[in-house]
Amino acid sequence: MTSAPAFRRFAFAYGTAFAVLYVAARARGLALFTVYPSLGVVLLGMHRSRDVADPALEFIAPEVWWYGWTATAAIGALMFGLVAALLPGQWTRWIWPGLLWVTPVFAMIACVYLTIPWFRE
Amino acid sequence: MVTALLIIHSLVAVALLGAITHQTLAAWAPAGAEPGSFFGRFRAVQSASFANAIAVLYAVSALLGGIVYLNFKVDIAPYLERDGHWQALGLLDLKEDFISIGFGLLPAYWLCWRRPVADEPGRTRAALTAVLAFIVWWGFLVGHVMNNIMGFGS
Repeated sequence: MTSAPAFRRFAFAYGTAFAVLYVAARARGLALFTVYPSLGVVLLGMHRSRDVADPALEFIAPEVWWYGWTATAAIGALMFGLVAALLPGQWTRWIWPGLLWVTPVFAMIACVYLTIPWFRE
Repeated sequence: MVTALLIIHSLVAVALLGAITHQTLAAWAPAGAEPGSFFGRFRAVQSASFANAIAVLYAVSALLGGIVYLNFKVDIAPYLERDGHWQALGLLDLKEDFISIGFGLLPAYWLCWRRPVADEPGRTRAALTAVLAFIVWWGFLVGHVMNNIMGFGS
């Protein structure tokens, strides 16, 4: 990354941090909220139907974490982006711009690793 | 309503697929291609002009997919689990992950194409576009698999 304007530093830091934070949220179960679409309920944090009731409840009330993981990553990346935007341009000069595409590639590989259990069923 | 949204989602995805494939091939095609050749004509197109359309189409497609996903989780996913379509569900899980990661890259992608700076390596822009193209192709193909899983070929 070069001595770029603030929005450029924000966008580059945001994209890179988002990929890392999304994988972290996915791996550690850090969903900002859980959606139960069949009930029309949104709960803060990550919840599993099977943990609080009969496992059969998951069939009736499936939970969605994807939005929550994305929200966690978006908010975290926003912080990183804002910090990068506030830093003086020369501070970010030494950062390799290739991180912008290398980080998402590794994040996607990590997601493949996290999805392996689906393929062992 | 959901069926209409799904059809619009797929139409937007087709437009996105065409635009980003064109841009990716243009970005990676050899610079010395013959002017009248296939890649020569590809490179003659202003690739940067695709960036706005791609960013908007990606956002709209992801938004529509996110809405349709709620119905999928309630009306379809439980039956796929019951019937043991675990691999297909795993592929869809990856689609969700990749789409989110791609969403985070959109601002940087747009800047790389629309506001390039002189000392920024062109390879970064081309690689970023290729990553997005992979995500779009993955999403498109997995979407098709999920759409047809209980129909043709099942």
